[in-house]
Amino acid sequence: MDMDAILLSLKLALWTLVLILPFGVWVAHSLQKLNKSKSWIEASLALPLVLPPTVLGYYLLVGLGGQSILGVPLVFSFTGILIASLIVNLPFAIQPIQRAFEAINPEIIEAAQVSGLSNWQIFRLIELPLAWRGITSAAVLTFAHTLGEFGVVLMVGGAIPGETKTVSIAIYDKVQSFDATGAGALSLLLLAISLVAIAISYGIFGQNPSRQKRWR
Amino acid sequence: MMLKVKISQTSPNPLQINIECAPGELHALVGPSGSGKTSVLRTIAGLSNASIGHIECGNQTWFEAHDLKGLIKSLSPAERTCGFLFQQYALFPHLTALENVCIPLQNSGFDAARRKAFAMDWLRHMGIADLAQRMPYQLSGGQQQRVALARALAKKPSALLLDEPFSAIDAPTRQSLYKILAELRKELNIPILLVTHDLREADLLADHITVIDLGVGLQTAAPHVLFQKPRNSRVAELVGINNMFAGVFTAGKLSWDMSSRVFDVVDKGKIPPGTPVAWVIPADGLSLHANQAPNSIQATVQQISALGQVAVIQLLANDDKHMISWEASAAEVKRLELEVGKKTYVEIDGSKIHIMPLRPINDPRRFTS
Repeated sequence: MDMDAILLSLKLALWTLVLILPFGVWVAHSLQKLNKSKSWIEASLALPLVLPPTVLGYYLLVGLGGQSILGVPLVFSFTGILIASLIVNLPFAIQPIQRAFEAINPEIIEAAQVSGLSNWQIFRLIELPLAWRGITSAAVLTFAHTLGEFGVVLMVGGAIPGETKTVSIAIYDKVQSFDATGAGALSLLLLAISLVAIAISYGIFGQNPSRQKRWR
Repeated sequence: MMLKVKISQTSPNPLQINIECAPGELHALVGPSGSGKTSVLRTIAGLSNASIGHIECGNQTWFEAHDLKGLIKSLSPAERTCGFLFQQYALFPHLTALENVCIPLQNSGFDAARRKAFAMDWLRHMGIADLAQRMPYQLSGGQQQRVALARALAKKPSALLLDEPFSAIDAPTRQSLYKILAELRKELNIPILLVTHDLREADLLADHITVIDLGVGLQTAAPHVLFQKPRNSRVAELVGINNMFAGVFTAGKLSWDMSSRVFDVVDKGKIPPGTPVAWVIPADGLSLHANQAPNSIQATVQQISALGQVAVIQLLANDDKHMISWEASAAEVKRLELEVGKKTYVEIDGSKIHIMPLRPINDPRRFTS
């Protein structure tokens, strides 16, 4: 089994998760307060859902082309595929969190306001705990989606072993070189991880239904 | 600490109200749904703002906005030291009853243990100490409202605002909450503002009632005054006065199209001669007789609704237009041998008549029909 590719995919998924979750929470929370520009921002954030990965990859390749961060070139590097992965995952991270914030009864926030809490305290003590299901869902989706990302990563990163060759790309490579056993093993691994991720997410959502109902 | 509220605006929804509520006073805001009662309460709490007005509690100004100068001051809801009770309780669903009551103490400067002890005291006070570890969804409506009341009072508010707090609660539980509220009133000695659409509730609990309709405060009075001397016909309608009729007032004399009788009514000299007015007669100004007396009106019993020891009798005057409603004890009904279809005579005590303009006081058309 291609351990390099597996470790690289896990590393990419974890980094994406660590960077995108706080950002997603911030964006989703800020979106609630917007009125006029809200639909435009929402539309641009959802763009990666409908844009073909190759198109997105192309723009990133052109956009990031000659640039570097602290001397590390962005294309054909881990940093490059991390940036690509962050952009591709925006809708998966933001939308579930946004829905969760929207589902909180406004009267509960008002009750927190008249209880004397500051905006930060309301966020920390009331909104965040009430939205945690959405945040978990966003985390699971982002993680599973990053593990399986193919098109954009290939466009921006190529297939440099240990640097940009993730599991999906390794599977593709193995199929190209008629290594059916290797491709099968990696595919099975991805299938298992995806299944576990979805199961975790469903397990969290499924527990204590009466409580969940009253929350909304 | 006196709570003084004077707000007005024309949009998005019209509001024009002036309330003063003394410490220990329970002031009810009564009106039909959509009349703006809740908007007034929300404005006081800082959950929404009026365009013009002044709200102060004690010597602290919570809100000030002028017509020309615009908004001068508006404290955030957190800075206004008022307790707010929501109709649907609005408990924090992810926190236990105890944690809910701890939330307002977050910025009290106490450590967590002290906050818990303090919150526990409040739950004990509300008689629900044994429910401290329950989640809101494990509590009944009445229990949730007690937790919400404990939460509203935990930070020692300088005014208490109650937004239809009893409307979602079953009748027996409501009675026990009335009792709690009556006790708290004496103990807290802060202004309490109660929004309700239930007049009986307002009559039972409040020292003063402000009747509000379409965002405008129509009359503020003690309950007994309000029921006997409504300021205008709309107030009479809103407070559910049954015997309201139209008449014409000329210099101390009220004539009624129903009868040839002219009543002598106190004239304050404010109403031009020949003015159409509305007039009401309280229950104790009416009496029923089996025989005709001078000036009595013949009427037929249409309906007798017995409610325990009291019966409400609907009478149709012999002009087939005017309905008169009369409340009497079951014994009285028996004495007069009243039954549906029976003819009887109604006598009106002229000295009990209260006349009022057809339209609100701020309506320029109030003396024209």
